[in-house]
Parts: sequence; structure tokens; C-alpha cells
Amino acid sequence: MESRHVFTVSELNTAARTVLEQEFETIWVQGEVSELTRAPSGHLYFTLKDENSELSAVRFKSRTSLLAPLTIEPGTIVLAQGTLTVYEPRGRYQFVVSILQPLGEGAIQRAFDLMKRKLQKEGLFDPDAKSALPTIPRSIGIITSPQGAALRDIESVLERRWPHVRVFLFPSTVQGEAAPGELRKALHRAIRFSQSSHSLDLLILTRGGGSAEDLVAFNDEALARDLYACPIPVISAVGHEIDFSITDFVADRRAPTPSAAAELAVPNRAETLGTVSSILHRMQRQTGSLWKERFDEFRLRIDACLMRGPQRRFETYEQRLDFGLSSVLRHVSIRWKARQESSRHWSEILRLSNPKLPLQRGYSLTFRRGETHPLRSLAGLQVGESIETRLADGRLISHIEEVVPNEP
Amino acid sequence: MNLEQELKQLEDIAKKLESDELPLDEAIALFESGIALATLIRTALNEAKIRIETVVEKSRDSFTLEPFDLD
Repeated sequence: MESRHVFTVSELNTAARTVLEQEFETIWVQGEVSELTRAPSGHLYFTLKDENSELSAVRFKSRTSLLAPLTIEPGTIVLAQGTLTVYEPRGRYQFVVSILQPLGEGAIQRAFDLMKRKLQKEGLFDPDAKSALPTIPRSIGIITSPQGAALRDIESVLERRWPHVRVFLFPSTVQGEAAPGELRKALHRAIRFSQSSHSLDLLILTRGGGSAEDLVAFNDEALARDLYACPIPVISAVGHEIDFSITDFVADRRAPTPSAAAELAVPNRAETLGTVSSILHRMQRQTGSLWKERFDEFRLRIDACLMRGPQRRFETYEQRLDFGLSSVLRHVSIRWKARQESSRHWSEILRLSNPKLPLQRGYSLTFRRGETHPLRSLAGLQVGESIETRLADGRLISHIEEVVPNEP
Repeated sequence: MNLEQELKQLEDIAKKLESDELPLDEAIALFESGIALATLIRTALNEAKIRIETVVEKSRDSFTLEPFDLD
């Protein structure tokens, strides 16, 4: 009897605490809340009970702040996760709660956690198993409700960023008992469609925000396995930023919202057009010296054409310019068709060479009546003589009232 | 050729023009095909209206498309 160990009270409570904490590390308890006290410190003290038994519980303020606001009242059936310990000063054992949820939500959360752990273990979330998304998809299949906000959001983002893409809708209900089955059928239909009819580069599995219960179809195990086996890259976008579903983890990419899924799916056309422009600039800079060389040669040819026939009539001036232009063009390169950017180049040259251009700027040409050379000097002009003045939009016939030379 | 390949080819043309001492005719031909390609890409990207079609499977592996209008 001398050898028996006598605990002090403190020792015993400490020992009991150690045993309890080790044995019940993280546990879930379901029960009805009673004797609820919200302490001024922010801690929440309550009792969990069922028909036969009670358990005192506490949720400390530090944990509370991490959780969504709760509507816990006496009488609420809750699902609580936490650890068992002993409050040594009083020798009372208690349940320290970290997650506290009304039963409906809690059940979904627990099922979600279990499913997540199970599939993760099997490797369904492995990064190595994920496919890269296409850089520029030509066709996208969307699995969602035709009535939902998700489709509208996706449509407007695609319209703005990349309307070139073809979008195929595979309708399915996205909530309720039938939803997991319908989502799977839509997924299978999309895969068959891609294989037998029109190849799909990307799938988006999506729905808009809702309660945890609304989103629960996307935690379906069979759907997760189908998604894992899907040969087409998939983006999963279920609910809002804060919502996670099992499909989010299995899919090749998760997007926080339907709109974000559309942004991930396609490039931005404004950026791509910018890239095209900068490539064009590079090409033009590069060929700039070639253009310059050809341009000078071209000008010489035009001048030669114009010099050749000064006696011809003014009205045919442009026709001859056209002729000169085309012959020079042929000369420079037969393949050098004036088209797109390059045609703009040539039409600018043509525009600058046009003798009517000065008229549009307000200058005019004056002729002795019947002559085809514009007047360059007063020499030989008589008062009373008839002259013709050409403006951009017509001619003036007038008589000279006075001839006034410049002051020497 | 799809848009992705077209963009890639355009980039290749620009690089070739920059890196090679090309004979004039070849440079012009390259430039010209680059312009044509850029025009093609721009036209495609500026197609303004997105098209959504609902896929209906009449019988297994037999699909029809119905235009889907959100409004």
C-alpha cells in the first residue's frame, strides 16, 4: 500500500486533460443548444444536449471571428467540430468548439469535407492530372442552366473579349435532386458531341451563386469522377468567390465566378489587336527602306510621264497620271498589288500628285480662253480680254478690267 | 488555319523580315502576305456578335443545333 500514488487534485486534472485531449483530438458532435451565454469577453458558453445527456461547450472569441455570422439560439440543433479538454481550475471537462453550424449547413459541410478528403487521397485533384487550357479556343461547351445568370455573365464577357469563339450550350438543371444526374448527362453529351460532331476545345461547368444547398449538386462523387475522366479541359465555376465545390478541385481550373471563367477561357481581343498592330509596325519599319527606294524611283517615273506631254489637255492629266502610276507599279513589282495598308500608301502618293489638290486648298488656275496652259505671267494680257479661272468646284469666265504688275 | 496559328505565322513573318537579308522580291512577297494575314485576323476579331447554339441530341451521337437567344 506504501507504493500507491496519491494525486494532488491539480495533478489529476492535468493528467485527465492530457488523456482527453489525446483521445479526442478533433471530433464532431451533434446536439441541441441550451443554456447559451454570450460573455462580455466575446466567448460563447453553452450546453449541448440530447435526450439523456449534456456536455458543456465553449467557443472562444478568437475562433468566432473566423466564422460566418451564426444564428445559434437555444433549441437549435447544431453540428460542432472541436476538441475535448478539461478546465482544470474547476475540474470540468468541456468541449472547445471551432466550427459551429446549424445542422443543415453542417451536414453539407461535413459531407463535403469527407468527399474532398476521399477524392484527394485517390489523386483526383493531382496537379499532374490537370490539362492546360487552350490559349485560343475555337469552340467552348458550356454546361449550365439556360435560364441562369451564369450564362448571361459568360456571354457578355465572351462578347467583349473574344466574340470570335463558337459557343455550344449543353443545358442542365443545376440544383435539386435531379441536378447531379443531369449534369453528368450533359457532360457525357458534350464529350460525344466533341468526338462525333464538332470538336470542343474547352468546357465550362458553371452556375451562379446560391445557398450551400443550392450548390450541393456540384459535390456529387459520380460527377467528380466523370469530370476527372473527361478528355476535354474543364473550368469549374460554381457560385461566388467564397464557394468551393468538389468539381472546383477536380476540374483543370477553378474560376471564382462564371464571369471569371469566361475571362480565363479566352484572350482579350483588344490586347491581341494591339499585338497585331505592333507586328505590323515592325514589318513596316523593316520594309521602310525598301519603300523609300521604290518611292523615289516612282516619283521620277511620274515626273517623266508628266514632262512628256505638256501639250495634252488638262482634263486628261489625271488619266495619264493613272497610266503612269500603273506602269510604274508594274515596273516595280508585278506582285506588288496595291492592297490593304500598301494601297493606302499608294493612294496617298496619288493624292499628293493630284494637280487638283492645290485647288482644294484655295489656289486657282487661270487660262487664256481656249488655251490649255495655265497662266504664269501677266505678259501679253490685255484689258478686256476673256479669261477662264478654275476652282475646285467649277470655272469662272471673266474679262480683265485692269492689269497690275507687282511693284519692282 | 485557326486564329492561333495565324497569329503565330504573322509573328514568324515579322521575325523573318527582321532577321534575314532577303532579296527585294521575297521581302515584298513576305510583307504582302503579312498584311493579308493581319487583315484576316483583324476581320475575324472584329466580328462583333457572339453566337450561342444549344446542342440537342436527337438520338445517340446524332446532334442538331438550335440558335440560343438570351433575350
